[in-house]
Amino acid sequence: MKTKNSEKYTKWQKSFERETKIDLSEASSDTDEGIKIKPVYTKADIENLSFVDNDSLPGQLPYTRGPKASMYTNRPWTIRQYAGFSTAEESNEFYKKNLKSGQKGLSVAFDLPTHRGYDSDDDLVMGDVGKAGVAIDTVEDMKILFNDIPLDQMSVSMTMNGAVLPVLSSFVVAGEEQNVNKNLLSGTIQNDILKEFMVRNTYIYPPDPSMKIVADIIEFTSKEMPKFNSISISGYHMQEAGADNVLELAYTLADGMEYVRAALSKGLDIDDFAPRLSFFFAIGTDFFMEIAKLRAARTLWYKIMKDFGAKNEKSMILRTHCQTSGVSLTEKDPYNNIIRTSYEALSAILGGTQSLHTNSFDEAIALPTDESARIARNTQLILQNETGVTNTVDPLAGSYFIESLTDELSKKAWEIIEEIESLGGMTKAVKAGVPKLKIEESATKKQAKVDSGSRVVVGVNKFKNPKEPKVDVRVIDNNKVRDDQIKKINDIKASRNQKAVDESLAKLVAAAKEDSNLLACSIDAIKNRATVGEVSKALEQVYGRHFATSLSVSGVYGKHFEGDEDYMNVAKKVNIFEEENGRRPRVLIVKMGQDGHDRGAKIVATSFADMGFDVDMGPLFQSPKDVAKDAIENDVHAIGVSTLAAGHKTLVPELMKSLKKIDPNSKIVVFVGGVIPEQDYDFLYENNISAIFGPGSNIIESAETVIDLISDKIHKNN
Amino acid sequence: MQLVEKIVKGERAAIAKAITLVESSKENDKKESRKLISELLNKPGKSIRIGFSGPPGVGKSTFIESFGRYLVEKNYKLGILAIDPSSQITGGSILGDKTRMIEISKNPNTFIRSTPSRGSLGGISLGTREASIILDAAGYDFIFIETVGVGQSETMATNLVDIFSLIVGPGSGDELQGIKKGITEYADIFIVNKNDGDLKSEASKTASDYKSAISYYKKSSDVADKEVLLVSAIEQTGMEKVIETIQNIVLQNKKNKNFDERRAKQFTYWIEEEVREIIQFSIQNKIKEDGSISKFSQKVMDGEIQMFDAIEAITQNLQNK
Ligand code: B12
Ligand SMILES: Nc1nc2c(ncn2[C@@H]2O[C@H](COP(=O)(O)OP(=O)(O)O)[C@@H](O)[C@H]2O)c(=O)[nH]1
Ligand SMILES: [Mg+2]
Repeated sequence: MKTKNSEKYTKWQKSFERETKIDLSEASSDTDEGIKIKPVYTKADIENLSFVDNDSLPGQLPYTRGPKASMYTNRPWTIRQYAGFSTAEESNEFYKKNLKSGQKGLSVAFDLPTHRGYDSDDDLVMGDVGKAGVAIDTVEDMKILFNDIPLDQMSVSMTMNGAVLPVLSSFVVAGEEQNVNKNLLSGTIQNDILKEFMVRNTYIYPPDPSMKIVADIIEFTSKEMPKFNSISISGYHMQEAGADNVLELAYTLADGMEYVRAALSKGLDIDDFAPRLSFFFAIGTDFFMEIAKLRAARTLWYKIMKDFGAKNEKSMILRTHCQTSGVSLTEKDPYNNIIRTSYEALSAILGGTQSLHTNSFDEAIALPTDESARIARNTQLILQNETGVTNTVDPLAGSYFIESLTDELSKKAWEIIEEIESLGGMTKAVKAGVPKLKIEESATKKQAKVDSGSRVVVGVNKFKNPKEPKVDVRVIDNNKVRDDQIKKINDIKASRNQKAVDESLAKLVAAAKEDSNLLACSIDAIKNRATVGEVSKALEQVYGRHFATSLSVSGVYGKHFEGDEDYMNVAKKVNIFEEENGRRPRVLIVKMGQDGHDRGAKIVATSFADMGFDVDMGPLFQSPKDVAKDAIENDVHAIGVSTLAAGHKTLVPELMKSLKKIDPNSKIVVFVGGVIPEQDYDFLYENNISAIFGPGSNIIESAETVIDLISDKIHKNN
Repeated sequence: MQLVEKIVKGERAAIAKAITLVESSKENDKKESRKLISELLNKPGKSIRIGFSGPPGVGKSTFIESFGRYLVEKNYKLGILAIDPSSQITGGSILGDKTRMIEISKNPNTFIRSTPSRGSLGGISLGTREASIILDAAGYDFIFIETVGVGQSETMATNLVDIFSLIVGPGSGDELQGIKKGITEYADIFIVNKNDGDLKSEASKTASDYKSAISYYKKSSDVADKEVLLVSAIEQTGMEKVIETIQNIVLQNKKNKNFDERRAKQFTYWIEEEVREIIQFSIQNKIKEDGSISKFSQKVMDGEIQMFDAIEAITQNLQNK
């Protein structure tokens, strides 16, 4: 075909080069994935594809064009908004309102203590109860959460991984006590532990026992809960944590392969469980790339499952949920986010997702308000009802560009998958920490592009709004939620049959020791009103709690700024500081409470180190007391608190108190970065916080502010 | 001096500030640091100083966490100086050792200080010796020093610690053949870590390689025997044997005076080092003021004088100043 096109093509090339004054060979755009996007694609580009079959149809192998023949022409995708906050009572009210307004499925966001297997009354979670999701301590909370929501009719997705046993058990028992047998429950449990170790950070046990739990759940549900998806293999969190699309695609499918092997090791037949494996991807702003990614994911999964020996067609079909990208949304000029989310949603639809969450415009500020959640939902309702996108299946099929991009993504992802397989699979790779570090590297590069201005983010590094709008935020009083939860826990503990609880927990421990299936035992314990925390702690006795060791990238940020004036200026200030003070500026960067958002902290740490700072990196989940000890022993000049899960109003004052307690004369400068609503700034300043760096902060500018603040403090003291 | 009292009382902030002082590269701080150290030397504590060296990634920090947990449970006070090898070209660093010392860092009976290795290539850094004197005066029972510096085991062992231990991973026994005497000569204890899971058999093999390597050393009655120990930092196994071995070595070396002799030698060495540094410093100044080097090298280039005669003349010149 190339030869036939060639005369026309040559002519086009000439015109192109004349118009742009750029040689065609230099005119491609580089994506984050390292793919060169050409200015034009032709038939020749889809002639020798490796993975994509140009003649395939929707619902036919290799399923590139969609899992079903009819797709949205028969039934549109499910509008499934991820939500949860405060108490079960409040979240239940919110769910019911949303369902009335056109939402179709539920998706539960649990709070961080629940994720990490702590009850609300645990000292370790003081700042976190009900803050970033709904607090569930016992099955009674779960029952309240689904009050007036019939579980035999509503499909419920639950993002739960670490404390998956007690939480899935609570769901099953809540169903039972609504008179719905577990074989009628429909929905999805995330149950994807590998990506927790990579990016999401709500693991509890070490990798090996965690994988056993995943396999137990797949085994149990494949036998007892035929309508329930036993796992949602998630790349979403990887992209949100900074992975490019190839990394997201490859690691997700490699995770999938590992779960298949784990289930097979239980002696299950592949076709008994594979149809209930589901997926979850993020949809960012790179419009065509995201469409191609979903098409590539289906294409590759088909190949993978065929190679595993699946026979049932349903085993080879990748079904997925998608969520628009939160990290693409900005705190600055937040109404722009409505526009970003709309394009991302369209991308997900053109890629053929089965269900979708669209983010609210206040994403980078706090949990959505009723109003912002309504707009987010309407984004999908408008797409479904007004735009005509549901009328044709896979409308971009046959596009030279899309087909070629689908194939190229597939190829690149396949290379990485083979690499992981040769290392012995994802569990091994995760233990070695390689994927985690690769994602951090990718995230750091993205940040450098934005900070250097080579990537434009409207309203952040260009086209800024001189008059930022004030927006309302959802405020959650975590102390009140905590008190309410503690009261409920105490009531239940007073009224339950303690002997039955103890016995069922002992049985659970025994089952863990002899390696038998844990879900049935956990359901018994929960039925007896054991708490989520008690079940988790029982298993902790056997498995221990996992602490992540963290590696750091270095030089990735700095490399982007060779010769950059602002960057060199900070580096110079650091050198002068060292000469004057006999050491470099030393900053401790910390995460407190159960907040596992470590991306910002890690990027800032590596960037500061590149600029010459000595950076102490605290582990995740520190208490304010531990941070104070750490800071004082290392005599740091400053502490940078990175906080995204809304614990700051409890944890920051605690830290200030702890510092004073160890050293009443402490001169340590404390600043805060992360997701902080402007409404809280004064509160933090009153607590002697020296500076606040919100989402979108330029790291070079932040570093300069920090070193200036430290120098000021030193001069004042002399 | 108020600082001294606070250190002796064990005040955390004072100890930390003092370590900053002894690590400082500022001339003024160095003077103060000397004053401080000479006062603290009059208030010696009872610490045993143990060095843990080994290549990056063998699990030194994890071992210290694991062994440390074991010790603090027995109510020992533990001071830890971790020299972090992660310094970069730019000079900055990310100090991440503490992310592996989570449990012990919470314990009130520990003091954990990380120090960037700065140019010294992962070895001991400026001020490590002084920092251990501070922790000693502050009443810590054990002082652990974590360094990467395998190549510097001699300096570490002869300069700084009472017991020098080398941590190695499974499989590193093969390298033994290639390694010069250095390590095996100076290490008192060899700890083979990661004796767990799939790595167990490899770890045992490594341990026996080390055992046969040290068997070539003639046993001497004045010094405690070298020991090879198998541990898993992650599973916290083998810790009892480590403390037992340490206590044995201390006991034996104290009995046969080797313990004190070693410390005495370290003093001599330290004094020599300080003297050398001071002389070097003053010589440098003299060279700067004198200017005879450039004067004579011009003469050498112009063929007026032979190079080695010039060198002799310059040296004479400087010595007479
Ligand atoms: C990425 C992301 C995730 C990733 C996190 C990956 C990771 N390992 O970090 C994933 C997908 C796993 C995730 C999960 C969850 N998330 Co989230 N997440 C985000 C998101 C979209 C972006 C955060 C981010 O990484 N940005 C990029 C980095 C580089 O920016 P940054 O951290 O803001 O840092 C910049 C500045 O803030 C500043 N800064 C930050 N720290 C520091 C420190 C210093 C020293 C300095 C100088 C500067 C500085 O400089 C940085 C550079 O500009 C935010 C929304 C948003 N757009 O901000 C929600 C958000 C933080 N998540 C939220 C929630 C609720 C969750 C969950 C708890 C949901 C649930 N119930 O399950 C989970 C649990 C996660 C956990 N373990 O804690 C909420 C928190 C609500 C609130 N604060 O009221 C947010 C705000 C979204 C929302 N509106 O609902 N999340
Ligand atoms: N299997 C195993 N891994 C370990 C053990 N100790 C440490 N590791 C791992 O080895 C890596 C390096 O550990 P670290 O303590 O940082 O090593 P250091 O550089 O010597 O201080 C980490 O990933 C640890 O989890 C152990 O006893 N067994
Ligand atoms: Mg270390």
